[in-house]
Parts: sequence; C-alpha cells; structure tokens
Amino acid sequence: MGTKQETHVVALETEDPKGLNIAEQEAKFGFNAGSSTTTSRDAKDDDEAGSGLDTEPSAPKFSDERWKNGTWDLNMFVRDGKMDWDGVIVAEARRRKFLEMYPESATNQEPVLFRSSIIPWWAWMMRSHLPEAELINGRAAMVGFFMAYLVDALTGLDVVGQTGNLICKAGLLVTVMGVIFFRRAQDFDSLRKLADEATLYDKQWESSWQDQDAGDAGDGDSGRGGKKI
Amino acid sequence: MAAATPLHLQNKPHHHHHRLSSLFSSSLPFSIKTTPLSTSKPSSLIISSTSNPLLSGRKLRAAVIGGGPAGSSAAETLAAGGIETFLFERSPASSKPCGGAIPLCMLEEFSIPPELVDRKVTRMKIISPSNLTVDFGKTLKPNEYIAMLRREVLDSFLRRRAETAGATAITALVTSLDLPSSPASPYVIHYNAGGSRHSLAVDVVIGADGANSRVAKSIKAGDYSCAIAFQERIKLPDEKMEYYQDLAEMYVGNDVSPDFYAWVFPKCDHVAVGTGTVCSKQNIKLYQRGIRERVEPKISGGKVIKVEAHPIPEHPRPVRIRGRVALVGDAAGYVTKCSGEGIYFAAKSGKLCAEAILKASEGGLRMISEEDLRREYLKEWDGKYLVTYRLLDLLHRVFYGSNAAREALVELCGDEYVQRMTFESYLYKRLAEGDRWEDAKMVFNTFGSLIRCQIVGRDIQALRV
Repeated sequence: MGTKQETHVVALETEDPKGLNIAEQEAKFGFNAGSSTTTSRDAKDDDEAGSGLDTEPSAPKFSDERWKNGTWDLNMFVRDGKMDWDGVIVAEARRRKFLEMYPESATNQEPVLFRSSIIPWWAWMMRSHLPEAELINGRAAMVGFFMAYLVDALTGLDVVGQTGNLICKAGLLVTVMGVIFFRRAQDFDSLRKLADEATLYDKQWESSWQDQDAGDAGDGDSGRGGKKI
Repeated sequence: MAAATPLHLQNKPHHHHHRLSSLFSSSLPFSIKTTPLSTSKPSSLIISSTSNPLLSGRKLRAAVIGGGPAGSSAAETLAAGGIETFLFERSPASSKPCGGAIPLCMLEEFSIPPELVDRKVTRMKIISPSNLTVDFGKTLKPNEYIAMLRREVLDSFLRRRAETAGATAITALVTSLDLPSSPASPYVIHYNAGGSRHSLAVDVVIGADGANSRVAKSIKAGDYSCAIAFQERIKLPDEKMEYYQDLAEMYVGNDVSPDFYAWVFPKCDHVAVGTGTVCSKQNIKLYQRGIRERVEPKISGGKVIKVEAHPIPEHPRPVRIRGRVALVGDAAGYVTKCSGEGIYFAAKSGKLCAEAILKASEGGLRMISEEDLRREYLKEWDGKYLVTYRLLDLLHRVFYGSNAAREALVELCGDEYVQRMTFESYLYKRLAEGDRWEDAKMVFNTFGSLIRCQIVGRDIQALRV
C-alpha cells in the first residue's frame, strides 16, 4: 500500500431502520476487517425464507472526518489559505475504493450528494494531464536530440537540413502519431481489442444477410460473452 | 404456370392487366410492369415475381410456435388477414420470469387495455457504485409512465385476442420440425398434446418460442450469447411497499453485476429484486446477494415468495430466416443492450413478420418464398431498428464497462436534458427532437464525466498498489 495513513475518525452515530447502533470504530487504512463490529442480525433472520443469506459481522462502514452528510466538507480541505482540490480528488478516490471493497447499502437516510463536477477543470488537468504530458515531452525531447545526432552522423544533414527533407518530415509525423496512440506497450492490444469490439455487434446483425452456406457452419456463436477488457 | 396467373400490379387499375399480360406472360418468368399509358406521375418500377404460385383451393397455412407477446401478435395479425393460423403454446398458465415493463407506445400500438396495468412507474432512481443517487424521472409529464404488468396477464390477453381473430390455439409442446424436401412441400410440426403425439403440416412457420427456441435449432439458426437474468420476488411490509409505490430503482456496480445492472421493480403487490450478467453466470448468486445487501434497509422485513431466472439473448442469431421459417422476438434475439428491453420488440417483430407474410402472399392466396420474408420482414425490421440497437450497444459498452464508467453514467443521468431524451426515445420509440446546443453540451459533459471518473479510477488503482 502506497500511503498508509491513520485517519482519525469520529464515527457517525447512525441508527439504521431496525434500530441497530453502529458503534464507534477506528478505521485504519490497512482495512483490518477484524476491527469491525458485530451487529446483531437476528431480527433480520426471518426475512430470508431459504434464500441463503447467513448472519455475519457487518462490514466496516466508511467514515472520514471530512465526509459529512453525504458530501465532502470543502472547508476542511483548505491548506495555507488555498483550496486543496488535489486532496478532494484523493479523498473521493479513497471513498470509492472503500465502497468497492465493502459495498454499502444505499439508504435514504444518508444519501450521497457529492458530485465530482464541483472540482474545477484545471484541478483535474493539473493532476492527471500535466504530469503525463511532462513525461512524454521529456522523452520526446531526448529521443529527438539523439535521432538528430544520429541522422547527422549517417547522412551528413544537419538539423537545418533535416527539417527541409521530406523523408525526415515523414518520419517525424509517423513518430508523433505513434507516440500519441501507442504510449504504452499495452496500448497495442487495447486498440486492437477496441477495434474488434466496435465491429462485433455489427457483424452479428449483418450475419443474417450473409450467404446461407457461410451461416450453416454454425459459426454464429460469439460465445465470448465477456465484452469487457 | 406463369401464363395462367394474372400479373399483379399494385398501383394500376385492373383493366391494364390483360393488355400487358399478353405481352409478357408467355415469354418471361418475370414481368416488369411500367406505367407507359398513365398520365399520372411515373410510379416506381415494380418487379413482381410470378414464380409465387397461387394456392389452389385453400388458404396459406401458418404455424406460430410460442404464445408469448411475439407469437400472439403474429398469430393475431395473420388470422385477421385471412391466413389459416395455428398458435402453439406449451404452458398457457405459467408466467415467464420478466421485468414486466412496457413503454407507452406499446399500449397504444397494441391496444392494451389500461386494466391490465398493475402499476404506473413515474419515478426512477439510478444508484452508482458509490451510492450516488439520481432521480431519473423529473421530466416526465403527468400522463407519461412506464407500465408494469404481470407477464401471465399480458400473455393470456394477447393469446385470447389472437384466438378471437381466428387463430387456432393448440396447447402442446412442439418436439420437432421437419423441413420440406421440395420447395412446394409443407413443413411438418410434431407435437405432444393430451399425452399423445400429433403432427401438423403447414406452409409457413414463425418461431416465437423464446431464448431456447426449438424452431431455431431445427433450422440451424446458430447460437447466440445469452445473459442470465435472476430475480427474487419479495413481499414487503406495507410501509416499505409505500416507498416503491411508483418508483423503480436501478443499481450499477461491480458488486451487483459486472456487465449489466441490478433492479428493484415494483409489481402488483410485491417487488422484484434481481440482477443479470453475461460473462460471469456462475457467480450470479453472488451478485444477487450483492444487490440484496445494497437494498438492505429498504427491503428488510420482506419475505421471498419466488425465485426465478431466465436467459436473455444479447444479440440476434446468425440466421433469422431459412426457407419459409422466420424467427421473431427472443428467438431471433431482439433484446436491446443496455436496458434489456424485449417485450415491445418481440410483439412488434411478430406483427411485422405477419404483415410481411400477408403482403407477400396477398392475404393467403399465394405461397411465399424466403426472398419475400427477407425483403418484407428482415429488411424492414433492420431498417427501422438497427440504429436503435447499435446506439444502445454503444452505450452499453461505454458505460457498463467499469465502476468508473458507471459513476460517469450516473453523473450524466442527473442532467435534465439527458433524462428527457432518454424517456422520449424509450416511451415512444422515436428519435426525440433535440436542441443542437443542448446536444453539444451533453456530448461535452459526457466526455467530461468520463474523463473525471477515469482519473479518479486511476487513483483508485494506484491506491490498490
């Protein structure tokens, strides 16, 4: 785990409709399931007529001192007089991750009201786009310098001459396109899968119109089923 | 044969027939009809194939196998048009596990009486993986709603109507279908009724027998991938039922379904809580538990009265027509992605196929061919609805892929324009009138939401490591 912080929580004293108290708990972000409280579920036992739900200790509930009434209290994210949007994004990511691991029931008593759209666009850019852009630009600059040197050594064209040459310009275009689409090695696969997926549904509809003999082979089974990468 | 049959023209007065028929009928198998003598605007070139023979002494016989919405609509249309129709249904009393929601346009187009409607859903809630809840029904007008019915009620009503129109209803299990040995010989249907085996010879077969269609197997129509829909019917205490009076809920998240949504739909006096999946069928019970836990406070105290499951096709079969057999409804695979809506499209395809047969056979007078079915039914259907299906498939792929995308979906659904567009296209099955500017804003917001949620998603991944 990258960041292991202990967030001191003032647990929300909530009463769910059946009158059970979820007692105060200290949620360390190591997610020790052992620290969760056991709540009595006997009252709910008669619900399940053979549906197979067994009683078990309830999962830890998400609590954070800055999460109040279903939304983040933005006042608590102010640092040195300035709003720390980065902190809001990280906190929201933490909350969503927690809920992914321990899904909570959607109650009407504590509805979630937080919308990520209140975080301004430049905060998103500064967090995600800029670091990656810096990385790629840096790499491009290094590769460019080295390639200019190499081409000069091989062909004798200096930088001014290279920029005038058609082949060099074409090579530059291909490189730029390549970098944009294939940033990481796995991009090759993802783009190919994307192309496949994008046309699969069309193929399934078109197959009725194809030659009967082609359809006879029973090859219509696109039983991959899983459409997600 | 060609010489004896009067050539059929669709938009010329009859007296032209004889003049032109003598020119063409003796020499050509096909006759090209033009309107050289009329002074009206030139009509389109009609090529009528005279190779469709007239049936002597009898009407066309059609069998519809499967008595659900698709089969009943087809049988009703066929019988009303004068074709001798047989409607096979193996268990008229049983109810197929189903969400039971139909759009407004179906009530009008198929004249469904309002007494059949159990509930009118006017509010919907969509809940994201992080429990962000969006009210999805703010733009509905007072007379707009989603009608919830019980399948057994709807199916039996449609079947009775088909019988009144002249179809012969046969309660039987169809065991096999014999394909004809020559172009003119009939299809033979073997079925079990009343403990004994029978067979029936017909000219045209419409396969409307659902996801595990036996007709499709007989004509080797190929396979399709299916989702499994699993639901539990839960009877709630009165005060909890009040909450679901006219409200349906939709839950998305990896805990409730990896590639679909989970639902809570109100029915006549109970709610149906269920989920579905394509890629992870063996874990369906886990997902059902997931949705039960998500809805926990709202259904606690309820009793499970029924558990049911059914496959739902994900896309059409490779072959939907072979010879004089056509597939409609779930048997053909006409369930939309994203929403999983199938009842309307089943009924509509049944009707369309029947109308195609009526047209090609001229009310039951002629034999039809596979070409007729392709032209009048398949082409019409694809032309009408392919765009809808493709669009819903795109939405499904984009928004049901990951938790991040689902969060984006719910965020977007909060927008009033999106809600209006969605409901208009769902309730009336037509492309809603949109404002260009609002469309642009919606696209912009879509990208914005997706990007934001992807960024948060990447942070979530980073936290994992």
